[in-house]
Amino acid sequence: MTMLNPDPDAALVERVKQGDVRAFEMLVVKYQRRIERLIGRMVRDVDLVPDIAQETFIRAYRALPQFRAESAFYTWLYRIAVNTAKKALVDMKRDPVMTHTALQGADDDDETYRGGLEPTDGETPEALLASKEIAETVNAAIAALSEDLRQAITLREIEGLSYEEISDVMNCPIGTVRSRIFRAREAIAERLRPLLDTRDGNRW
Amino acid sequence: MSQPDSDRSSSDSSRRILSALADGDATDSEAARAFQAWRDDPDARASWHAYQLIGDVLRSDDLAAEPAADAAFLVALRARLADEPVVLAPQPRVEDVPIPLPAAANASGAAIRSRGRWQGPVAMAAGFLAVVGVLNVAGPFKSDAGTNLASTAASGPLMASTTAVNNAVVPTSLQTPAQTPAQTQAAADQLAPYLAAHRQSGKSGPFQMPGSDIRNVSLVQPAR
Repeated sequence: MTMLNPDPDAALVERVKQGDVRAFEMLVVKYQRRIERLIGRMVRDVDLVPDIAQETFIRAYRALPQFRAESAFYTWLYRIAVNTAKKALVDMKRDPVMTHTALQGADDDDETYRGGLEPTDGETPEALLASKEIAETVNAAIAALSEDLRQAITLREIEGLSYEEISDVMNCPIGTVRSRIFRAREAIAERLRPLLDTRDGNRW
Repeated sequence: MSQPDSDRSSSDSSRRILSALADGDATDSEAARAFQAWRDDPDARASWHAYQLIGDVLRSDDLAAEPAADAAFLVALRARLADEPVVLAPQPRVEDVPIPLPAAANASGAAIRSRGRWQGPVAMAAGFLAVVGVLNVAGPFKSDAGTNLASTAASGPLMASTTAVNNAVVPTSLQTPAQTPAQTQAAADQLAPYLAAHRQSGKSGPFQMPGSDIRNVSLVQPAR
């Protein structure tokens, strides 16, 4: 096993820098919800949140060659999201009837291109109910875990400890920590999977 | 605590690696396998999303999002990423498991790497040739054999005698050493037959192409 890297995303970032755009998708899936929540706290129009988040990731992708890992990837991405949201706010003040196209930049000339315009139902009652159901399922699954598994994944996901630190806390080998975290995730995901089947043919 | 499960199916192994990668604990070879799984295996992609969603919900219930919205977000972003230039890093990639990249990425990368290989040598060669050319032109001014030609340049164009610019008329504004009127006259007398022949050839030179736009240049010896 390699030494722990200070930035857990270092391998993914390096992979993207080597030309693998699909690795960037993994980062998007990892941080999309956090970025959207951040933007949602700055921009009151919830319909604009997905578009600003999209623009944030596009800007991050373009700027990734200049990312020097002087901070964690998420910190860097966070700054881009804040700046993108601020720019959107300035544009809205200048032109209150800001269109989605303006957010997507001047390069998108294709009138048929919809990009992030797909209707999102982030605030519909059904979506809220689905989100609530997911949260309840995860919390219930956590409660049902054995103490070892619950402690391992809690220390990792909530406290942000590294595997090495968790092994010290739990007094067990790093390999065991790795295994416990995986098994905890699998146990929760098993309960979650019936809720995660996406509609409209969207497949991961 | 028990050891990891003995049931190590391929899918199970991929998910274990994805779990480790999510925490930044995967080895290079494991990371390469995880990237491959993300590309090829929908179940691996679903597991990656589930692991990340679980982590988010553990941190805050606010981060519980409907999976369809997450998938739609990625689909839309993927369409935009398809129009973006492929990101490439300067360092070579070394890994245990080769991962096929999109054709566009390979083509772009090959073009950039190929350009990087020949740009340096060609630039050096061009610089070297430029230096040699300057020395060839300037050389006669410093040599004894070129003294007469150098003095001639004071009153007109210079005919270089090197193989590189043989028979080429080279206009010059180079400063020449000061010479006595006698020396100048002697040089002019010595070159008079040549200049006369040159004027003649200038009217119908061997380099004149029929219908071309090349303008002939004749030398006019200033009156003394």
